Amino acid sequence: MTKVVVYLIMVLILTTFESAFVNFLPIDFFNPDVGIPFVIYTTFFLGPQAGLITSVVIGLMQEIVSTSPSGSLLFTKVSIFIISVFMRNKIYIDSKYSFSFVCSGAVLVESFLFLALSFLTRGESRDAFNVAFYSIPNAIFTGFLSLFLFSFIGFLNVRYFNRQQ
Amino acid sequence: MKNTVVIIIAIAILVVAFFVFTNTPLFLKSYSVAKTGFGEVSGPLLRTIGKPVELVGYIFKNYIGLIRTNKENAELRNKLARLQMENQKISELEHENKRLKNVLNLMEQRPKTMIAARVVGEDIKNWFKCIILDKGKSSGITIKMPVITPRGLVGQVVETDRWVTKVMVINDTNSSVDVYVEGRNTRGILEGTGQTLLRLKYIRKNDEIEIGDKLITSGKDGIYPKGLATGIVTTVNRGKPGIFSEIDVMPFNNFNILEEVLVVKK
Repeated sequence: MTKVVVYLIMVLILTTFESAFVNFLPIDFFNPDVGIPFVIYTTFFLGPQAGLITSVVIGLMQEIVSTSPSGSLLFTKVSIFIISVFMRNKIYIDSKYSFSFVCSGAVLVESFLFLALSFLTRGESRDAFNVAFYSIPNAIFTGFLSLFLFSFIGFLNVRYFNRQQ
Repeated sequence: MKNTVVIIIAIAILVVAFFVFTNTPLFLKSYSVAKTGFGEVSGPLLRTIGKPVELVGYIFKNYIGLIRTNKENAELRNKLARLQMENQKISELEHENKRLKNVLNLMEQRPKTMIAARVVGEDIKNWFKCIILDKGKSSGITIKMPVITPRGLVGQVVETDRWVTKVMVINDTNSSVDVYVEGRNTRGILEGTGQTLLRLKYIRKNDEIEIGDKLITSGKDGIYPKGLATGIVTTVNRGKPGIFSEIDVMPFNNFNILEEVLVVKK
């Protein structure tokens, strides 16, 4: 549980920092989703309970700093969590590269889920073009970022958490 | 067994999120309570992180500026030559100046109707275009208040809590503004595209509109006051099938580099 709390604090800081950071850097074209790697990591390595808590907290947290329709990011994050639970026994994450690949895929799935939810409930989505346009750059950049996050989480585990056990 | 329980809880949360998305009042109320709770944590954090990030941004911009000085020097010489030619258009500029002065006068005359705020963040998702301000409900900001700069319209307040305010910028795909073409009897709806350019809709092919025309708010949408500059027409395509022209508009504000804005109290 301590690990989950530490990861959530990390996401809170990263999310807030990202929101403040994009204000002056022209990284509009590829905005990474810093929440996805944590949802994937906790679900795959810490179990479904930790994954659920992480996905709910991250979903709510991201909605604070976004004008996305209420409930949409919570829906997509929890959906990613459920998919990850079912994929746990089918995908084996053995390195930062496979983790990065899974994270990129999850970002694409998230975009698709958002569009599906919009079309299903409203019959249209004015954001459709935008979401589709940014989904691939976002996935690539999130995958790139998750390489570092995976290494960093690994470092934290070795340096602090594993010693306590 | 334990995993099954977790999956059931996850599906229940999914259902709740679905109903919140569809704006079901029962779920929406409890959801906004949870969201406010999170806002109480992230709001002050965003305001705090915004300041050092601004400093880093300042240093970054200056460093980049130093590297590009030579290139900029040459560009500025060309610009000077161009500006000398553009001097002929002085009367047009005077007109624009007058309009901007009017906006500024409006602010000076009624300072109590304006709230100055600093931009501390942007939307975490690039699917939407929103900026986050460092003032919240405690400063008297409520939803649907227009947000402007001396250059022109920025957007409208869509969400506010105790610490911060979210503003939907006019280039968001969900934004629509009722506008007039300045000096002409033409009216249309300015919609966001999610990109830099805006799209002016419902202008018939025989309506008076030219490239370079300026757009101002009509005040008829019930949100934005009349007479605010919004953008300049960059493309007019009358060759498209149908009765309406396809018109692109460049907003006066660069929403990526906004630092301070004014929230207009209603």
